[in-house]
Amino acid sequence: MTRTLTLGHLYPDHMNLYGDRGNVIALVRRAQWRGIDLRVIAIDVGQPVAFDQLDLLFMGGGEDRDQARVAKDFLERGLVLRPYLEAGLPMLAVCGAYQLLGAYYVTADGQRLPGLGFLPVHTVAGARRSIGNVVAEIRPHAEWPPGLAGSTLVGFENHAGQTFLEPGALPLAHVLTGSGNNGQDGTEGAVRQHVIGTYLHGSLLPKNPHLADCLLAWAAARKGWQLDSALDDRLEWSAHRALLRRFHKRGLGGRHP
Amino acid sequence: MRLWLAVFLARAAGWASRVLGHGGSSLPGAVARAIAPSVLQELGRRLPSGAVLVTGTNGKTTTAALAEHLMRRGGRAVLRNQTGANLVLGLTAALIQATGWRLLPRADLALLETDEASVPRAAAELRPRGIVVTNFFRDQLDRYGELTHAVRLVARGLEALDPDGRAILNADDPNVARLGEPLRSEQVVFYGMVAGWGDPEDSPGDVRHCPLCGAELLYRRRFYAHLGEYRCTGCGWQRPPLTVAVEEMDLVHRRVKVRFGDVAAWVPAVLPGTYNLYNQLAAMAWAWSWGMAPDALGEALNDFRPAFGRMERTAVRGREVWFALVKNPTGFNQVLATLAAEPQAAVGLVAINDDYADGRDVSWLWDVDFERWLPRVAVRQWWVSGRRALDMAVRLKYAGVAAEALTIEEDLARALEGAVDSAAGRVYVLPTYTAMLALRRHLTKQGAVRHFRQG
Ligand SMILES: [Zn+2]
Repeated sequence: MTRTLTLGHLYPDHMNLYGDRGNVIALVRRAQWRGIDLRVIAIDVGQPVAFDQLDLLFMGGGEDRDQARVAKDFLERGLVLRPYLEAGLPMLAVCGAYQLLGAYYVTADGQRLPGLGFLPVHTVAGARRSIGNVVAEIRPHAEWPPGLAGSTLVGFENHAGQTFLEPGALPLAHVLTGSGNNGQDGTEGAVRQHVIGTYLHGSLLPKNPHLADCLLAWAAARKGWQLDSALDDRLEWSAHRALLRRFHKRGLGGRHP
Repeated sequence: MRLWLAVFLARAAGWASRVLGHGGSSLPGAVARAIAPSVLQELGRRLPSGAVLVTGTNGKTTTAALAEHLMRRGGRAVLRNQTGANLVLGLTAALIQATGWRLLPRADLALLETDEASVPRAAAELRPRGIVVTNFFRDQLDRYGELTHAVRLVARGLEALDPDGRAILNADDPNVARLGEPLRSEQVVFYGMVAGWGDPEDSPGDVRHCPLCGAELLYRRRFYAHLGEYRCTGCGWQRPPLTVAVEEMDLVHRRVKVRFGDVAAWVPAVLPGTYNLYNQLAAMAWAWSWGMAPDALGEALNDFRPAFGRMERTAVRGREVWFALVKNPTGFNQVLATLAAEPQAAVGLVAINDDYADGRDVSWLWDVDFERWLPRVAVRQWWVSGRRALDMAVRLKYAGVAAEALTIEEDLARALEGAVDSAAGRVYVLPTYTAMLALRRHLTKQGAVRHFRQG
């Protein structure tokens, strides 16, 4: 019998700025290679959603105008969505979506726009865009499944907002190259329960297969399944390591397979 | 005197840098502008027919090449900037190159492919007699931040259009069409398609909302991506009436019936793909607005040869090698759609660099619809190359290309040689901009293509 998981892709037509589709492609393929049928449901503005039918959520970033359009719709879903996220529904939120999951966003003219308030972060519009390749490391933490702690992430950031973590918030990673959340404290992204917010594109998941598998494992665990581990990821890790070598000259241990 | 010195020293600098083996396309411009900041303006003013800017995300080079060809056939001396040298320094260098020792221009007219970001400055200095706008797609977002920003830059350029000048606008692209709103109707030539090889499966692309009021756009027909015949569901704004329009297609003879004002004529479709038909339409609309007769246009197009890299065909050791520049998802999809129409078995080479001119962020590779097109393209073996060869390899793996069908060779020259040697028939080479330049240098050394500066 085929095992099936369902991914809710929030606003694919509006929040699709930098290859965010690649994250969905990576999740679909890596599930498929394990005999899991990962179905993708597009969730658009105003479209009703049964969150109890979903095993995984993804949302990307958009241009300012598109983002304003979806923000209202997304926040209206907050009351329904929050309990699912609190209960461990996994979600990957990139760039604009990451900002929307935070407490609030302060625009360039000082306006304070509310966010969903799930991730303990807030964002302030910056004067300068942070643009460039990023290498970051995930520091050991009790919350992480095996394979993530001590590993690296590679990606590309392009954001004007500066995101700050509230005290006690858990960052996704610490940058070795690049700006990360705000260019000051060295953090990149944020995690709470099984929700990951990040500024990394690239696309993120294809070149960071361990992070893709972490999301899939979280989704599978809610069904009571184990994710069969081994895929042949030599190509993905070659791409990952090539970026480490190129953008982080000090080099990192070869702890990846 | 200052102007003369600027031109003299800039030419010396350009000559020296060519002798030293650098491309030298922006150095003369930098030297000249340092000596005489108004050099572009002053040299531009000396051109009897002034300057025309060609801008937009995709198709600038092809459109400019076609327009130049049409003008030359029409008997005019035209100067053009080097492919890709499309910032203000590159434009300045092009005008210097075409200026003689007595500061007299050796051309009647400058036809300048201009990067969107350089349009406001170039227009302010040159007061162009024409601005041709092809389309707006998301491209190299690490440079512009957002699509709407590029549109605003070109809108600012249009404000500096010569009072008797013409804006040649793609009516089928809502973001280009809206640029005509503040202009007087006699200043604008709208071009577009009534009939086309429309692809209903093609995804709508970057623009789905009315640029005036933000409501959804409803498309009656789409020819590719967001280019088509549309109407706003909010304010009622719609595609402006077409002055120059493709009205009929003849696929068998590869020709199209184009209406210019009230006169229709059959003209050859000189390049494969809908995106190239739009480029041809832009060039024809402009040449027509400058007084070229429809029949003469069709006649002149018969012997057009495309610029290198825009689906040029060449031969390397007996194999037919096709080159097509790829730089953003829409362009890449269009190239794949064109290859899908070719049944012959072939070897593919995708060469991805991430220099500034290529766009440093390669995320866009994931927005190319390989999942849809690869099964229809008759390529059995893919080579990947360039600084981002591994990124491309991962992309193809996730699009379903098996490990056995994938060869990784980061060195561009070796990849090209390997792909050619392994091919029985054709080779399709799909490079980003700097990868294309490197491959071209390699082939020039092998004597396979004519020299770059003549391209
Ligand atoms: Zn409208």
